[in-house]
Amino acid sequence: MDRRAFIKYGIFGAVSSYGLIAIPGLTFGETVFDLSISGQNFIQKKQFIKAVAVLEKAVTIDPENDWAFGLLGRAYNGLGKKREAVTAFNSAVKINPNDTFSRMMAEILSQKPLPPAKKTEKAMTPLEKEAIKEEKEMLSKIKSVKGLDYKVNRVVIDAGHGGFDPGAIGKNGLKEKDVNLDIALKLHKRLKSSPVKSFLTRTGDYYVPLSARTVTANQYKADLLVSIHINANKNPKPHGAETYFCSEKASSKEAQKVAAYENSVLKFDTPYKKKAGYIDIEDILFKFEQKLNWRESDQLANQFQNKFKKFLPFKSRGVHSANFYVLRRAQMPSVLLEMGFISNSANEAKLSQPVFRDKIAKAIAKGLI
Amino acid sequence: MKKQTEIKYKNQLFFLFAIFLTVFFQTNSHANQNNVNTLIFEGCDFHYKGDLSQAMEKFHAALKLNPDNEYALNQAGIIYTKKKEYKKAFNTFLKVSKIDEKNTYALLWLGILYLVEGNMNNAYEQFNKIISIDPSNADAYYFIGSIYNFRHNTAMAIKYLKKARDADSLEADTHFRLAKAFHNVDMTANAMLEYQRTLAINQNYTKAINQIGWIYYNQNNIDKAIKQWKKTLKINNRDRNAVLNIAKAYNQLAFQELKKKRINNAKKQWKKTLKINPGNKAAKYYLKKYK
Repeated sequence: MDRRAFIKYGIFGAVSSYGLIAIPGLTFGETVFDLSISGQNFIQKKQFIKAVAVLEKAVTIDPENDWAFGLLGRAYNGLGKKREAVTAFNSAVKINPNDTFSRMMAEILSQKPLPPAKKTEKAMTPLEKEAIKEEKEMLSKIKSVKGLDYKVNRVVIDAGHGGFDPGAIGKNGLKEKDVNLDIALKLHKRLKSSPVKSFLTRTGDYYVPLSARTVTANQYKADLLVSIHINANKNPKPHGAETYFCSEKASSKEAQKVAAYENSVLKFDTPYKKKAGYIDIEDILFKFEQKLNWRESDQLANQFQNKFKKFLPFKSRGVHSANFYVLRRAQMPSVLLEMGFISNSANEAKLSQPVFRDKIAKAIAKGLI
Repeated sequence: MKKQTEIKYKNQLFFLFAIFLTVFFQTNSHANQNNVNTLIFEGCDFHYKGDLSQAMEKFHAALKLNPDNEYALNQAGIIYTKKKEYKKAFNTFLKVSKIDEKNTYALLWLGILYLVEGNMNNAYEQFNKIISIDPSNADAYYFIGSIYNFRHNTAMAIKYLKKARDADSLEADTHFRLAKAFHNVDMTANAMLEYQRTLAINQNYTKAINQIGWIYYNQNNIDKAIKQWKKTLKINNRDRNAVLNIAKAYNQLAFQELKKKRINNAKKQWKKTLKINPGNKAAKYYLKKYK
């Protein structure tokens, strides 16, 4: 109730404070100033329909006139046409950001439901026609499932290392890069007959920079990035499989520095939002998404590790979190799998068998589907 | 008789007093209302100018005169949010929603504060509540669509983001997120259309430019993709995504040349990689190898 009273008195207060006093006997003129004065007089006399007519004319002649737009907002508000009023007030603010009254009025009116905006029909562009055709063909094929469970339909499989970077090397000469690639290719093949679509960061023995691996995951709009590795230790005793996911906290000062740099880029990316005390909704959404991705990575990591425990004759070394570059830059949940220790002779022997690598690929696939 | 006159007189006096009281309170309430309006107007002005403490003072003064003023409360809630005093902000918006359960502005901010907290389910419920009150609320559709996008539930993301777009087609972010949802399921014509609409509203929306680059890249039009990412770098030369995308593209071109055994051409591409991304290990290694 008070809000409505405020609108009523607010207009009155503003009309007087802005010096908008009715000028008796003033007739219609054709200049924007004359039209605006007429509109103002009509508002004072509560003849809002007439006010709207002259003020619409005024803003058509001069679409950069904030005063006329502000008056038009008041006239529409007088008529009870809230959406039109908000549009006019917003136009006034866009032209003159210092117009506190118009901004305030637009905000007040927008606090509660507004009638739906009127749609204007326009001729379609060729791209619009193509989009409609595509939508008819494609959208029916996509499952519409309610609920907020995470959906993994696309996965990017990253075979760690490659090319000049062999990764860890076993005592018997087994190279990590080769094992990683073989498991990745086997997994990719296996997923072809499943509903999960998969992509590879590398298909042969060549080096792919870490940055390019996450770029590939982003390129294919993956729902999950799975990076396959084999562990190593100076001590030959450790053995077994473990799963990593990216942790929220930076593990080193260097990582903190990188994050700070990236955040500064993010800010630079949206210069139009640089205003004191501005609430950046997109930043809120970005952080929210990141939190969800970390949470999801944690869950998926546990899911994988449980499958390894069940299907692989490896000791389960559990789930850990760390700040891996390859995981950090991914715009989706991501996990890094350490499928045994190449530095352990028993593990190395197993990893050198193609049948065993297929077993690993099967266990990873089970964690996915 | 005297008693009767006295009673009559007393009645008259009471009647006059009642009139006085009515007039007094009406005038006083009118004056109060004007004070509230002035305080709110001043508060808005300070708020716009970024003077949050002065603005808050004005809104608090207005709320002392009228504790249920929804607009002043919402403004106070926003200022608390800006100051990252989320609990106070939440309670303020909650108060508004109790005064008027249809104040969708307050409900929206409660939803946003749930997002800040990372509470997906409550945020989702809150935005749905808004839609049940106001079926054309673009913001509520936008947030629900975004949540579905984050859950990679593309069909639902598209459904809600389309509603957000149809309710308010002037938001670049809505077009961008809808484009991404289409892009996630390879609906490239729709994705391209929405990216273009994003750029029509804000030509510096580099994230949309970068994504258009990927559409070209995945269509094997690498040169056109590189042009897009270079466009981004003209707007923001520190855009890490654009740098890494270009590096990947040049490396890809280099490998293509290498496969055709055109080593000099491959080297040219790796040199380009290093120019844009001097730390690129692959380019460094292969340039050394084929020196």
